[in-house]
Amino acid sequence: MSAISFQIEIPDTVLARARRGETGALEQIYRAFERPAFTLALRMLGDAEHARETVHDAMLHVLERVDQFRGESPFWGWLRQIVVNQALMRLRKERGVVLEELPDDDETQGNAPPPWAFADTRHLEHALARLPALTRSVLWLYHVEDYTHQEIAQLTGKSVSFSKSQVARGSSRLRDLLEPSQEEAAPCMTATAH
Amino acid sequence: MHDRDRTLIDASAPPQGAPDANPDRALASALRALPDAAPQPDLWPGLARTLAARRRPRVWRYALPAALAAGVLVALLLPRATTSPPAPVAGTSLPKAVPDIPVQAANDELDALRSRSQTLERWVAAVAAHAPQSSRDLMAAVEVEDLIGLVDVQLGATRDRTDALPLWRQRVALLEDLATIRGSAFAIAASDVGTIGVDNSFNRIN
Repeated sequence: MSAISFQIEIPDTVLARARRGETGALEQIYRAFERPAFTLALRMLGDAEHARETVHDAMLHVLERVDQFRGESPFWGWLRQIVVNQALMRLRKERGVVLEELPDDDETQGNAPPPWAFADTRHLEHALARLPALTRSVLWLYHVEDYTHQEIAQLTGKSVSFSKSQVARGSSRLRDLLEPSQEEAAPCMTATAH
Repeated sequence: MHDRDRTLIDASAPPQGAPDANPDRALASALRALPDAAPQPDLWPGLARTLAARRRPRVWRYALPAALAAGVLVALLLPRATTSPPAPVAGTSLPKAVPDIPVQAANDELDALRSRSQTLERWVAAVAAHAPQSSRDLMAAVEVEDLIGLVDVQLGATRDRTDALPLWRQRVALLEDLATIRGSAFAIAASDVGTIGVDNSFNRIN
């Protein structure tokens, strides 16, 4: 199953019951978002146990404060924001305030389709896991969760250009990781040479 | 996300089934196609337990004032009830004021109830520390504990042992209910993992 969207509408009746503390309604909310929340945390943190703890803390925060949700924005947006904040907090706590960043890369891109257009799931996941956590998080928030650079800058406490550079460098590194090595590529080049 | 600042040119979208040459769009598409996952083991039982436990103080926020009010009411009404005997009916002799329960018997029962109460409390506390609780049991246990709290407040307002007797009976009955709730979880846990780390004395209430 592919990464499911966070954009799930929760009926007002369920929210009203949840505000009254009805366990059934709280579980309904949890069940609706457990997969997108865990997937997001897993992609950001790169560790299933850390992702599980992050989702636990985020869900507890949400379900305890559901009566504070004003309804001015979609519920899923509020919940997702809390998951992202929890994941970023964990990244900061575990890796220190200064998060590792990728160096500048040459962005040599031709007109050929990028390697991720052909990569299988296992290779793409493996390459993604090899990116620094913050770069991977920015890449995921931008490409999958549709956050803007402005929003990512606010979330991470960095600049818009930082977000842009992380997306560019992360994409470039992914390309490097997914493209076949020289040794693997050589026979193909030989075979196609005229 | 209205001010999205990446440039995706929809007109350049590839034909269906063909790889997308636009790196940004192709990457977004590839990342979205990665499998999703759910936390294992299930997080909900733990969350429900924590939520139930944390909601308990909220119950007290309402239960305690109600209990205090009930206690004050009892304290006010009890003296009137004991100092205002019914008017004697003409032509009948006033029976000698004999309490329903002899004082010594009441004292003995009270001591027995207090002792039983302490035993039950110790047992419940010990079992609660060793046995996992389902969220439903936990909610039920919290409700019974709140009722015990109400009885305790009323006990605090009683002046003599005779008035306290029905309250102590009620307290012991509630503790027995609580022990049943806690005990069921304990029995399940014990059958799953044996009684490792649990004192044998927890298996009997008396």
